[in-house]
Formats: sequence, structure tokens, C-alpha cells
Amino acid sequence: MSRNTWIWGTAIFVLLISFPPQWYPEPVRLQLAAWFGADAYRALPESAQPSAVKSEIACPEDVLGWREAQEIAGVQIRRSLNCVADDPYAVAAFVRGTNNIPQSVLMRSGLTQDAIVKGRDLDNDGDPDEIHIRLEVVELNGASPDTDNLTTQYAIAPGIKPGLWVFVPKMTGMATKNFESLQARSLLRLPSPVIRIEQGDHVFITLENSHYMPHTIHFHGVDHPFQDADGEGNDGVPLTSEVPVMPGQARTYDLQPRQAGTMFYHCHVQSHVHVMMGLQGLFIVEENRPNNWLQTLNIGAGQVRYPSVSVKENYDREYDLHYQDIDRDLNNRIQKTNDPRLVTKSLHRDYNITTASSEYFTLNGKSFPYTFRESLVIVKPNETIKLRIVNGGSSGIALHTHGHKATVTHRDGVPVQPNTGIVRDVFWIAPAQRLDVKLETTNDGLHSYGEGVWLLHDHQGKGVTTNGIGPGGNISAIVYESYLKDNGWPRTFGVSWDPYFSAAYYRKEVPVWQSYAENLSSEVTFDGWLILRLLGLGVAAGTIAALLILQFQGRRS
Amino acid sequence: MPGPHRYCVLTIVICLTSPYLSYAMSGHDMHHSEQKQEHAMVYNDAGMVMNHNDSDLPFDCKKISRDYAFTIHAGVAYARDFPGTVFGMDQREITVDPCSRITITFVNEDQVRHQWMLHGLPKYLYDQGMFTLEAMGEHTQSGTFIVPGDDKTYLVHCDLPQHMEKGMKGQLVVGRGSGDLWSIPGVSREFRQQNYLPGHAALIFLLAIMPGITASLIVFARCGKIKS
Ligand SMILES: [Cu+2]
Ligand SMILES: [Cu+2]
Repeated sequence: MSRNTWIWGTAIFVLLISFPPQWYPEPVRLQLAAWFGADAYRALPESAQPSAVKSEIACPEDVLGWREAQEIAGVQIRRSLNCVADDPYAVAAFVRGTNNIPQSVLMRSGLTQDAIVKGRDLDNDGDPDEIHIRLEVVELNGASPDTDNLTTQYAIAPGIKPGLWVFVPKMTGMATKNFESLQARSLLRLPSPVIRIEQGDHVFITLENSHYMPHTIHFHGVDHPFQDADGEGNDGVPLTSEVPVMPGQARTYDLQPRQAGTMFYHCHVQSHVHVMMGLQGLFIVEENRPNNWLQTLNIGAGQVRYPSVSVKENYDREYDLHYQDIDRDLNNRIQKTNDPRLVTKSLHRDYNITTASSEYFTLNGKSFPYTFRESLVIVKPNETIKLRIVNGGSSGIALHTHGHKATVTHRDGVPVQPNTGIVRDVFWIAPAQRLDVKLETTNDGLHSYGEGVWLLHDHQGKGVTTNGIGPGGNISAIVYESYLKDNGWPRTFGVSWDPYFSAAYYRKEVPVWQSYAENLSSEVTFDGWLILRLLGLGVAAGTIAALLILQFQGRRS
Repeated sequence: MPGPHRYCVLTIVICLTSPYLSYAMSGHDMHHSEQKQEHAMVYNDAGMVMNHNDSDLPFDCKKISRDYAFTIHAGVAYARDFPGTVFGMDQREITVDPCSRITITFVNEDQVRHQWMLHGLPKYLYDQGMFTLEAMGEHTQSGTFIVPGDDKTYLVHCDLPQHMEKGMKGQLVVGRGSGDLWSIPGVSREFRQQNYLPGHAALIFLLAIMPGITASLIVFARCGKIKS
């Protein structure tokens, strides 16, 4: 026999024996089984050994004592029971005004002296009614021309840092915690701060556009004139009222709202992009009361540590809840290039929101498990709690209160008829819609089923995930104080949360039940035998192809 | 303070000698609480000056070698000459002698805050190794510092988020310096360079390949003929 015949024979033999049996058509397999019987037992591939997960500390220690109830510059600041609290010095500055506090308090707040200026008492009822707020625009998790490290970093969940734009109070000094750190200061975060003013206040809001793109502020639902006294645009809409505030420029909006209610504010420049980048916040007009000093800003929303007089009349506690969703394909565009011209084109021309979908779902600028550090609704039995909720996302949310049925008192800042107050456990909130919800913790089987750690989340499946990995998204909880540890972390009785505090978990590297069912959780190792067969198959097929080509050429010549 | 402040109505000097205060200022980072030297933040209507120093000499200087005064204008207007930037300064490189005393007058022509922040000074003299001028919109701020005796290039930037990245970056060269920093408009390129290719770059590449192949074939064919 010639050498070629040997090669042909060997190649066809290897091809046949290495062809994986599971790839034969079913009739062939059945016929083979009829002739030779079932295949002999071979153990399935081994389970992979679970890898050790490096987890962050769930509840960092409150070294600076920010959670304590304290008096600063004459302001009685309530205790914050959540693990991570707002800076009480900033709270004091927001209540008294940055022009009315001792220099030492102002310095520790990090704000400028003109950040929140409180002026005259126009109606002589013991509180200031001229309020001048100065806001800057900050980019979080942005690009650098020199490194792949993001600038002014802010994580919404372990390892997750989408590009964001936010309104922030005017502050002094460094944007990061120090020169060595890349972490944004606590004042710089998602969401943009909640603005709180009193009905009838004369409010000036200066937008100091410190960002590299044009922006405006539009007051959604807040009573404001279309043009101010000087005939300048006051509605924040580039199409109809004014040219946007360009980088390096400032504009002052002027309003005196006649109606109270939970409203909204946002940038209106290319709003399908800029609002979703994070330029949006709650705007709350409180009812006018004597001696009603307000906490003008609530950084990162959440618990109101200095509630208004009118809220205190009817409620034991107040929480601002700001829901958002993030399409990382949009938000991460600012990280891909540093040239503002390329960023501008990428955001406003290449990105197409009509084919977009969101991956991240946040409550007060964080996704689970970070929501549990600072956005728990903490309650005691027989209390009445005010929740002010906005959906700043691109689609509706179906907010579900485990263990409670609560009452809608206002929709879009307008009271609902007293006797038609809607008691329910799922609240549908359209984009930009606000609900004021009265949560009663009376254990009557309707308003509350008793004490516990009761989840609070969007009931749409995607809302409780982070890019499809659960638990994530906007999961938070209504937690009774009896279920709260001293450090503000809830006592839970279920699975370990360690995996959720690791970036690896949200990179999909941790098997789903690894922490509590190791044998069930494991991923499967490779089938080495099958890979060997595939290699043999490939080599044999290649040899046959080469032989065919040689033969074809031989015939031609 | 050297020189009159046009807007200086109220000037308060607060020395952060307490480690607790210093800790609060640096956020949650612990190691700064260990530093106990004085540093001053001076607040005025024009903004803030940090670590002003017109008299304390660095260890390696016997006396002040020379006095400099620079006026630096900042704002979006100074970005116009540099495509792909939004914020800028009219002087992005300053060269001085070792052990010299430098007074900077920082003129902010925008309506938003800007900073002239210098990094890398000796920490025994300047807290966090920094000297900072912060000027409120349409305000002027000035301050003085003394540089050590070694040849070194210091980073100058505005620390407002994205201002350095979008053009507000410069360098202070002491003596012969220690090499240019990256991405300073008019001085050095960015380290992480962008591709400015049109969308159909692949097509252009393919079009260039074809004449290349044709030319080569012709050359090879000619060579072959000569031999035979
Ligand atoms: Cu905008
Ligand atoms: Cu700047």
C-alpha cells in the first residue's frame, strides 16, 4: 500500500473515533445502541472548587460620630439610625444658612460662604424667606487624558462606577477626600441634593456651570414665572425660554412658589441625555409655618435630619426616596474618551435612547447592598412616617412595601381627596412622578403586620438586579428599631451577605448559592476528554482536506 | 498677606492644629490625622488661600534666592487656542530658580470657581504638600510660597472635577526641572492618546493596500524579466 493510502486510512479512522457520539443524529445513536447496547458509565466532570470572595465591610465604623444626635450652631440635628449618615456640619449649614454660622462650622461643612445664603424674614414669622442657593455641576467617574483610572470616583455598588453628572452645593477645596485619594467627597454624589424651601419664600437659585457642557435648571411642578422680573428666561428650557448656561458661566433663577408639594428639578438641555446622566433632584415646597427653619438641602436624599414644622405636626419621621435607573451604555460614554468634542458627539448623536435599556437601578444614588448602609426606612411601632418618592428613571416603577399597606396622600405635589386616599402595597410611579406616602406602623394586619425587616423594592424583576444579577438594584427595607443593631445594620436571619459586598459577585464570578449551599453552588469544570476528541477531530479533518487539495492539483498537472 | 486684596473684606485665619479637625478636613482617610503641623486656610470674599508662606525657608535653602511675581488669568477664554479643551490658563509653564519666593496673582475671568493648586512641596512646611489659591467667579486671589533647592517639576492644576482633564493643567519648573508632565496644553501630549480617525478608516486602509500590491507586482514582474 502506498504512503498516501496509509495517511488516508489513519485520518478517516481518527475522524470516526474522535467524532463525539452526542453529535450523531438520533436514529444513528439508537441503531448503535441496538447493536452494541448503552454507552458505559463515565463520571461527569468534577465540580469546581469555590473561590474565596474578598468582601468589603458591610457597615463601616462611624469614626466621626456623624450618626449621633447633636447640636451644631444652635441646630438640633436628629440622630441618624442608618449605618452611614450625612455630615451634620453640612446639615447645620443648610438649616442656618452658610452666611449665618460660625466660620469653624462652615469650614467643617466644606461649603462656601455663599452656598446657601438666608436673608430677610419677609412675613415676620421667625424664619428667613429670602433664600439664595448656589449649585455647581460635577462629573463623577469621568475620564482622564493620562490614566485609565476614573476621576472623582463614586461607586453605586461594589465595583460599579457609572459616569454621572450631578448638581452639588457650592463647596471649597478639593473634590476628592485628599490628594492621594480618588474617592469623591461625601458632598459629591448621586442623586443631586433634595432642595427644600417654604411656600412663599423668595428663592434665588444660581447655577454656576462648572462642567464642560451647557446646562440649565428646569423646575418641574414648582410654581415659577416663565421669565424673571428682568425678562430673562426662567424656565430652563433652551427651546422656549433661554440659551443654556455655558461652561464657566452662571445664571440665577428666581421663583416664589405659591403652592406647597413634592416637586422635581432637572437640566433641560438635551434632556433625554442630561436628565439620565443624573442632573435631577427632588424639589420640596413645605407649607408656611412660624419659625420654620428648613434643611435647605438633603445630600443624597434619605432621612431628613431636620424636618419642617409642618411635617412634624403630623409625622414622626420623614424620608426622601429618589429612584433612578442608569443605562451604562449612555453613562459610560464619558469614560471612553477625554476629548469633550468626542464625548459630545457620542452622547448626543451616536447614542440612541429609542433602542436603549437600563442595567442599574438605584435608590438615593446606591444599589443593593449599599442601599442598606444609608437608605433604610427605619421605624418604630405606632408611628406615622412621611415618604416623599420620586421616580427619576426612564420607565415606571412598581414600588412594593413588604409587611405594610401605606396611603398615598399626594400625587405630583397635589393632595388626593381625603376620603379617597389610596391604601395599597404596590405603588406605580411614572417617570418624573412624585408620590407622598403615609406609612403607618400600626400592627393591625393592614397597615403593618408587625415588627421585622421588611423589604422595600421595585417589583419589576429587573429593578431588583444590577445588570441582571440579583440581589441588586433598588432593594431597601422598612426596618423596625428592635431589629436594628447599634451600628445601624439590620439583624437578618437569612443567608450571608458577604458575596454581595464584593465586586466579583456583580462581575458574575461568584456562583449563585456559593455562600450557603456549596455542593449545589459549584460551577462545572471542563470536560477534558471531549476537548481531546475535538482536537483529534480537527487534526484528522485538516489532514483529509490537505490530501484532497494535493490530489486535485495532481490531476491538473 | 502680601499685596492688597481687592475683595478682601473679611479675612479669617484658622490654624488646623487639632488632629481631629485635620481628620475631618481630609474625609475618612486616617493617615492625615497623624500630621500635627500647622497649616493655614485663609478665607476671604475672593475665595481661599491654603498654605501661604512668605517667610519659612525649606531645609535646603539658606536664604531666598530671588523673588518672582506672576499674574495668571484663568477661564474658558484661555482654552480657545487648544482644540479639545474647555477650561484654561494663560500661563501653563512657569520657570523659577531653586529657593525662590513666588507670588501668584490668580485672576479668574469665569463666573464659576477655579483653583491654582500646586502639589509636591515638602510636607514638613506645607500640609499635604500643597499650595492652593481658590478664586470665586470673577474674583482675584493671591498668595506666596517658597520652593526648595532641588531641581523639580511641580504639578499645577485646578481640582474642580474634570477641569484639569479638560485643560486646566500646568507645571512649575524649579531650576532645570525633573521632566515635563503629561497633557499640558502647548507643552506636552496626553499619555492616553485618542484615535481621531474617520468612521470609514478601514476602507481607507484597504484602498491603500491595493496600490501597494499593484506596485509590488509590477516591480517583481520587471525584475523577473531582467533576469530571464
Ligand atoms: Cu444638562
Ligand atoms: Cu477650574
